[in-house]
Amino acid sequence: MEPEHGPDDDADGNAVNMAVGALVTPRLGVVGERASAVSLNAFLAQVEHRAFRMAELQLHQREDALDAVQDAMLRLAQHYRDKPPEEWAPLFWGILRRRIVDLQRRRKVRSIVVGWLGGGQDDDGDELPVWEPADHAPGPPDRLGDAQAYAAMASAVRKLPQRQREAFMFRILEGLDVAETAQAMRCSEGSVKTHLSRAMQHLRDQLEDWR
Amino acid sequence: MTAPDDHIAQRARELYDRAAQRTDPAIGARLHTARLHALAAAHDGERRHAGARWLLPSGACAVIVLAAVTLWQPLQQSRRPVPANTAQGSEIDNELPPDAVQNDPQMYQNLDFYGWLASNGHTVDGR
Repeated sequence: MEPEHGPDDDADGNAVNMAVGALVTPRLGVVGERASAVSLNAFLAQVEHRAFRMAELQLHQREDALDAVQDAMLRLAQHYRDKPPEEWAPLFWGILRRRIVDLQRRRKVRSIVVGWLGGGQDDDGDELPVWEPADHAPGPPDRLGDAQAYAAMASAVRKLPQRQREAFMFRILEGLDVAETAQAMRCSEGSVKTHLSRAMQHLRDQLEDWR
Repeated sequence: MTAPDDHIAQRARELYDRAAQRTDPAIGARLHTARLHALAAAHDGERRHAGARWLLPSGACAVIVLAAVTLWQPLQQSRRPVPANTAQGSEIDNELPPDAVQNDPQMYQNLDFYGWLASNGHTVDGR
């Protein structure tokens, strides 16, 4: 359900978005590259790695993240290839978002089924963690110099409510503008501002070490 | 957005960008394959779509031609020449003189005789 955004939220959201707009400016190169990607192949080549990271951040599992990205690319190519190139970005991220939500729901159902089959509690009657497929491959933090910072950021982002997480990832990490983010999230621009404002508030609390 | 928010956003984006640039080569290869597969599937779909685009007009044309042929045949049957015996019967009733080409040309050579025979036939019979 979309949050009701009052005047305070709007004011706060506008302040956040004005600041984000200023922050996005250094990324104009990326935006320019995106606009120049007139062929679908070039566009997908530009976003595929970022899309994988975004899916991985939310799903916490490489195979599922790859599936989500592959499916999003396939759907964009099959159904929206004739759309103007400037519309591909919000469409692609919107498709990927829905695919991620689908996979998360499936996982939840799987966890419930495992719980029914007696896998939800250990011998002492304590709750077992939610079932997730094993992932033994090395994660990106292992290959990054600032592994701890990335892990902290990923952990904080995963703790955000779904809609706040999406607003943060699309607006801050991916650099989409408010309208594109609203299109990808299928909500109003006001809701995007509210979600982002609340996400930043949560992240401020969780990433105190970064200050 | 406050200064700490700016800092968080800036740092989070830098980390995210770096992570995206340093994707595992195996993952990169799989993403590349997935992209090619998506583009190939879209190309196949486009060709199928183009074929389907012609299917409807072609089918409509075929139906129209079939309907035209079906309607044309009864129309042609009604316009066919009437059988010969029917034609002869109508000629008997017809007041017009018979066609010179279709009948005996000798009759026209002796028209005077036949005229006389027609006018005096009753007199001859009465005698």
